[in-house]
Amino acid sequence: MRCREGFIRRGATLARRRLLFPILAILFIFLGCGLKPKPVQQVVDLHIASDGDLIAFTPDTLTCPTGALVRLTFHHAGRFVSARHNWVLTYPDQEESLTKDYLANDGVVAKDDRRVIAATPMSDKGGTVMVEFTAPPPGDYPFLCSTHPEDMRGILHVTK
Amino acid sequence: MRRLRIAAILAVVALASLLASNVAAQLKSPDDVKKGLTLLVQISNDFKRQITAKNFARIPHEYQEYTEGAEALRATIKDEPADFKAKVETRLKASVAAFQKVSDMSANAPDADKLMAEHAKAVTAMNALFELFPADLRPDPNAAPRRPGGPPKN
Repeated sequence: MRCREGFIRRGATLARRRLLFPILAILFIFLGCGLKPKPVQQVVDLHIASDGDLIAFTPDTLTCPTGALVRLTFHHAGRFVSARHNWVLTYPDQEESLTKDYLANDGVVAKDDRRVIAATPMSDKGGTVMVEFTAPPPGDYPFLCSTHPEDMRGILHVTK
Repeated sequence: MRRLRIAAILAVVALASLLASNVAAQLKSPDDVKKGLTLLVQISNDFKRQITAKNFARIPHEYQEYTEGAEALRATIKDEPADFKAKVETRLKASVAAFQKVSDMSANAPDADKLMAEHAKAVTAMNALFELFPADLRPDPNAAPRRPGGPPKN
C-alpha cells in the first residue's frame, strides 16, 4: 500500500516537473520580449550665465541632442545691478507673444504656461539656479530672460 | 589774417581730438568700460519700455538700476587718472540726476508723453557722458537689441 502511494506521488511530481518546463519556457520567452533593456537617456549638462551686469546671456547659443535629459545651470554673474534674471525656453513661434506678456506682467512666468518648455527660478546677482527637462524634437528653440525679454535672448539648437 | 584764424581753429580742433584719442588709447580696461557704457544704455532702454508700457510703478526701480549701473561704470575707470575720473563723475552725476527726474515724475504725475520727453533729456545727458570716451567704445543709444544668430531686429 505504502509502495503504491509512493509510486503515485512520484508520478505526480514527475508530471508537475514536466509541466513546469514548458511553462517556464513560455514565461521566459514572453518576459524576454518585454524586458528589452530600455535605452538609457543621455544626460547633458549645459551652463549659461549673464554677461556680468550686462543684460545678455553668455553664451547666447547652446546645443543638445533631442530626447536628452538636459540639466541646465544658469548663473547670474552680475555684481552691481540688482536686476533679477532667469532662463526660459520656449517654442520658435511663441517668443514674441511671451515677450509681450512678460513686459506687461513684470516677467512673471506662469507655471501652467504651455508656451514654456522649461524655466529656471529667478536668480539674484551672484546666484545660481537650475532646471531639468527633456530636449524637444530637433530644431532651434529661443530662450530668454522673462524680466528682460527684449535684450536677453538666445537660441538652443536641438540636434538629431 | 582770416586764413590764419581758420588754421588756428583747425589746429586747436585737431589737438583736442588728438588729446581725446590719447585718453581713449590709454584707458586701462577698454572692454570693461565698453560694457559699463552699454549697461547704462540697456537700463535707459528699459526705462523707455516701462514708460511705453505705462508700467509707471516700475520706473523708480529702473532708476535704482541706473544708479547701480553708474557704480559699475565708476568701477571700470577706478585706475584712470584723477582728472579724467573727475570729468566722468561730473557728467555721470548729471545723467543720474536726469534719470532721477524721470523717476520722480513717474511717482508724482505719471503721464507717458511727459515722461518720454523727460527721458529724451536724460538720454542727452547720458550722451554727454559718453562723449568723454573713445568713439569705438560708445554704444548707440538707439541701436536695436542684438539677436543671437542674426542681425539686430528692427
